Amino acid sequence: MRILVVEDNDLVADAITMGLGAAGYAVDRSASAEAAENALATEHFDLLVVDVGLPGADGLSLVRRLRGRGSTQPVLILTARDTLAIKVEALNLGADDFLLKPFEQDELIARCRALIRRANVYAGEQVNLGRLRLDVAGKILRVDEAAVELTGREWLVLECLAMNSGRVVSKERLQQAIAGFNEALTPNAVEVYVSRVRAKLGDAAVIRTVRGLGYRLDEPRG
Amino acid sequence: MNRAAESAQSIQRRLLWFLLPPLAALMLAGVYANYRAATAFVESAYDQRLGDAAVSLAGSIIRDGPRLRVDTSTVPATARRADHLVALRYGITGADGELLAGSREVPVAAASISANLTFADVSAGGEHLRVASYRVSIGSQQAVISVAEAAAQRAVPGRFILASTWLLDFIQLDVTLLIVWLGVYFGLKPLVSLRRQIEAGSPRELKHLDATAIPAEVKPLVEALNQLFDVLAEAARSQRRFVADTAHQLRTPITGLLGNLELLMKEPAAAALQPRLQALHTGMENLAHSANQLLALARADPSTGFTEAFESVELKALAGRIVEMNLDRALGAGLDLGVEAETVAVRGNARLLEDLLGNLVDNAIHYTPRGGHVTVRVGRREGRPNLEVEDDGPGIAEDQRGRVRERFYRIPGTAGHGCGLGLAIVSEIAEAHGAQFLLESGFQGTGTRARVLFRSAVV
Repeated sequence: MRILVVEDNDLVADAITMGLGAAGYAVDRSASAEAAENALATEHFDLLVVDVGLPGADGLSLVRRLRGRGSTQPVLILTARDTLAIKVEALNLGADDFLLKPFEQDELIARCRALIRRANVYAGEQVNLGRLRLDVAGKILRVDEAAVELTGREWLVLECLAMNSGRVVSKERLQQAIAGFNEALTPNAVEVYVSRVRAKLGDAAVIRTVRGLGYRLDEPRG
Repeated sequence: MNRAAESAQSIQRRLLWFLLPPLAALMLAGVYANYRAATAFVESAYDQRLGDAAVSLAGSIIRDGPRLRVDTSTVPATARRADHLVALRYGITGADGELLAGSREVPVAAASISANLTFADVSAGGEHLRVASYRVSIGSQQAVISVAEAAAQRAVPGRFILASTWLLDFIQLDVTLLIVWLGVYFGLKPLVSLRRQIEAGSPRELKHLDATAIPAEVKPLVEALNQLFDVLAEAARSQRRFVADTAHQLRTPITGLLGNLELLMKEPAAAALQPRLQALHTGMENLAHSANQLLALARADPSTGFTEAFESVELKALAGRIVEMNLDRALGAGLDLGVEAETVAVRGNARLLEDLLGNLVDNAIHYTPRGGHVTVRVGRREGRPNLEVEDDGPGIAEDQRGRVRERFYRIPGTAGHGCGLGLAIVSEIAEAHGAQFLLESGFQGTGTRARVLFRSAVV
């Protein structure tokens, strides 16, 4: 997995590069949007980590050009300016996530991992989540290499949670994910499916209930 | 501004106060002068009649040998008819004061009477009389003729004149006052509409006032105000720029330092230094927290003019975002963090409301012991949008609830990363949104319930 970090501040860039490197990613660094464009033209990256405040063209304009070319490259935006306008613009432009400075290394790594995983789910590829391995195309779940039998709806629940791992997924969203045509599902049905998936995962992963909000699949950290 | 001060400074009232009393005094003086002129005229007409009667009586005095005598049959009718409404009484006396004709009760106008008519007001027998006397010489004989009239009779037309002048002048006074009032009202109308214009806009909006229909006297004031608005708007812009630049200049190096420190802590060679590095890390996190809080406080400063850009903010979604952001910290602290929300929207600045709720949740997580519960609620209280964070921690003593809102105040004896700005930020943001910030005891009297009660919902 390859990540391109676009950050002009050396101290920050060093920390990110080394931190992500230690987490097992191959990391390249560009100090400007122009340099990043050059790198993207010749190399493939699984994820872009882009700082908004760059000398010359800023990080948001890089994302705009990227999306303008039709690229679906996952992008994580870093910024020191936490105005709502920047956040809204970044997400409207098609950035996949947004992280405010200062952040902890673990937070950055978790976000990167989640973004790459989500792209893989979309691409129908294999997804690793701690001790879980999801074969998205074949709809097969393995826990510690042992295949675990899931019904169609249980799989949809797990896939939706895995795609958003580390984020809270609302009950309504899960309800939509598992509802078939002409079928009405009560919110209680969601609870039933979640608890079944939870039982089948055992202690390999945690599906947390967030009171009043929904569920969150947590990757075991560290 | 209270009502008394407002009336003291109202130009309309001042103008009316300056104009109305002198006008009223002038009118009263006019009534008096008119009355005096009219009664003087009437008096002289009455005296004329009295004099004529006296003179005509002279024709009735005839010489009777050495003495004088009055032929009463020739006394004019007006003097004879005592019962007449305008009855005159007369008395004619001889040289020695003997009564020749008429009534003895008619006094003489003066002690010495000449050949000219003498008029006087005389009291006789408890009655006020107007008397005209004069001396006639017939041959060598002399007689004094006096004609009297009751003063009360003269008062009747006097009262009539007074009533009619008073009535006329009173109507004139009223019309004048009405004209003055209308003149002042319409003359000041542009000022009233200027006031409405100012009142209609929010004081923070710094919007230019329309100076087209403004009187020349006020125009410089309005133009000065508009210039002041420009200066303030520029100050707000530069304040916003400062906040944004400072954010960048502070956060970027902290990010670099924190990242490198975390890398260092993972180095096997640094194992022996872990306690020192951990302390450094905690210090760095506190620094980051303080920087964030100071920036939040600067952002909440009304001089940045953020109230201009108020929009509809949905509180349920806001609560979801903030709870999700704080979930890991809550889980790390062994707390159950949750939401109980219904959909309510208020007018406000979403970023600042995030700061507000973020600080309340942060406080609750920080001060609630392991195993506790923190709940963010969004709903309505007394029909108004209500946003609250309740915990079952130790609570805030009643005598501390006012002070904890002050900047940099921390309850003595509390530990942790706080810089004492959290509730000050909450207070400022609540105030900027016209909302009340209340600190109460939690459910069943334990813990804290921090409530923000907004003025009204957006439908």
